[in-house]
Amino acid sequence: MTYGTTVPYPAQHPAQHPARRLTQPADSRPRDRDTELPRLLPAHGAVPVDLRTHMSRYGAPPYFGQPGRLIPVLKAAQLTGRGGAAFPVHRKLTAVAEAATRPVVIGNGAEGEPASDKDKSLLWISPHLVLDGLQLAAEAVGSNAVGLYVHRNARLQERLRAAVAERAGARIDLAPVEIIDAPPRFLAGEESALASRVSGEPAMPRFKPPRVFERGVVGRPTLVHNVETLAHMALIARYGPHWFRAVGTADEPGSMLCTLHQADGGRDVAETGLGTPLRNLLTLDEGTQAVLSGGYHGAWLAAADAARLTLSNAHLKPAGAFVGAGVLVAFPANRCGIAETARVARYLALESAGQCGPCFNGLPRIAAALDEVASPQPDPRAVADMMRWAGLVEGRGACHHPDGTVRFVRSALHVFREEIRLHQYGRCMDPARRPFLPLPADTALDAADWS
Amino acid sequence: MNGITQSTALWYASRATGVVSLLLLTGVVLLGILVNRQGRLPGLPRFVVTGLHRNLSLLAVAFVAIHVVTAIADPYVTIRVAAVVIPFASAYQPLSLGLGAFSLDVVLALIVTSLARARMSRRLWRALHWLAYAAWPSAVLHSVSSSTDLRHGVLLYLAIACCLAVAGAFAWRVSHAGREIPREERAAVTLAMMSPRSAPGPEARRGSRRASADRPTKADIR
Repeated sequence: MTYGTTVPYPAQHPAQHPARRLTQPADSRPRDRDTELPRLLPAHGAVPVDLRTHMSRYGAPPYFGQPGRLIPVLKAAQLTGRGGAAFPVHRKLTAVAEAATRPVVIGNGAEGEPASDKDKSLLWISPHLVLDGLQLAAEAVGSNAVGLYVHRNARLQERLRAAVAERAGARIDLAPVEIIDAPPRFLAGEESALASRVSGEPAMPRFKPPRVFERGVVGRPTLVHNVETLAHMALIARYGPHWFRAVGTADEPGSMLCTLHQADGGRDVAETGLGTPLRNLLTLDEGTQAVLSGGYHGAWLAAADAARLTLSNAHLKPAGAFVGAGVLVAFPANRCGIAETARVARYLALESAGQCGPCFNGLPRIAAALDEVASPQPDPRAVADMMRWAGLVEGRGACHHPDGTVRFVRSALHVFREEIRLHQYGRCMDPARRPFLPLPADTALDAADWS
Repeated sequence: MNGITQSTALWYASRATGVVSLLLLTGVVLLGILVNRQGRLPGLPRFVVTGLHRNLSLLAVAFVAIHVVTAIADPYVTIRVAAVVIPFASAYQPLSLGLGAFSLDVVLALIVTSLARARMSRRLWRALHWLAYAAWPSAVLHSVSSSTDLRHGVLLYLAIACCLAVAGAFAWRVSHAGREIPREERAAVTLAMMSPRSAPGPEARRGSRRASADRPTKADIR
């Protein structure tokens, strides 16, 4: 079951399209409280939920009284991280709870992915679910240093500060929450970049190990969870693992927020159970030639293949893609997939932190070669060069930026192979090269933009 | 002495491995400077330079180990095991062997910290790696002062060549120290080099923050 919500999050995108409501797909399952969606965003959506409404709907956060008790509940729920990596939540919590020194807990709402809106929308509409989750996570690992790392947006941050102050007044928090500003970089939300930024240094990734849950913010073990993960936690703590698992598949239970980009330009955040067919989320008719799953570190799928798949790693991984943070793009048939991939690859190359040679030397070369392939009658060696460079950068960065970029580019070379053939004859699906995939207006290159 | 008898074999082995160690360590220092400046060897990808630096240093350790073990085992002079690692503790040639012991300690520290680099603070690793610039001259002084081999003939020229090469590389490194491209601009500079047809390069974006004179040139990032 899928419900769309209209999202009144302050628009930042130059070409903001009117958000649209998704039609509810036919479903024969009995409707009861357990399978009702959406869970995280209010059903009739547009109104941000203030503390009074939140308390009357959910009550105060159900604290467990001592550290560790939430962890078996989350394990039973099989909740995985919703930031993209789908790492089992209870394992991070266990590692941090067992650490010798007092841990730090940070909610990650940086959302550097330009095509994703779900964390901003969640923070804007249901901030108190996230803040409940943050407090419950802090209690579970015995932490009193709690922060919320948020996308740089003055209105959103102001609203969150007010929400935190309101909760402090109502005395429902165990630990005070600090709002930390995330720089507007693609990699700002990467766990180790987050730890570095919260420690007062530039938001750049570092080599792992040690993992952030071993040594993170100022060297202390740090629990970092995506804000959506925290909101799920807040509800699992209240309604239990059985309730959570009533939606989704047996291996990938629960629901998730998705940012859906339709081929007609519609852009919407929707909550859906894992295992939902992609064709129920995106309009996959002849107007769509391909689907991008998992955002700009994800992979392209041919529209015909995507129509047979569901939103689950069990389905998407064999096809070379993954669920990631739930960014799904239906790419229109009348655009050039190679030109668009080249534009994004260029952006991704410029988003390199410039720390690892394979990344800051390799990605610009790959982006330039892709630009060559996107031009009429390209140099025939460009594709082979690109494949060779792709192999050289893979797995050789401090973070997964080179790997994700290579996955994205490789899938484009495969899915848009017909387009590449057209270019060899000097033709193109869209000679005007109209932009479709969302990117930030400009990429700043100042050191200040990392902090 | 007629030929290599059993009693002199160790002595010859120690001298030979000493000379080879010096050459290898010189190579390691030169490659280290190249790696630090993000330079490359003609025709080789950049990661090969890094790999060569690493593998050559491991090879050098093997030769230094043979050099030290044979020197201890050789009955001609008596060197206590402790004197090998504790500088200036030797009764025989205390200054010369002390320099060697110091170099050995530093080389071992560099190898251990580099193998454990992923597990330690990058700053500490970097600080320790600076000691390489102290270890190499001390190794050269050890070689020249303890052996008579390096004082004449081909080996003398070899020693001079090593010194000149390292001095030159060090001077190059120092003169290029301020010309590193800031991290956040590296990808943009490479991209600008690679794609003449794609629109605004980093210069257009960077605005007036940098004067055109100190803008990185192609030679800097090659």
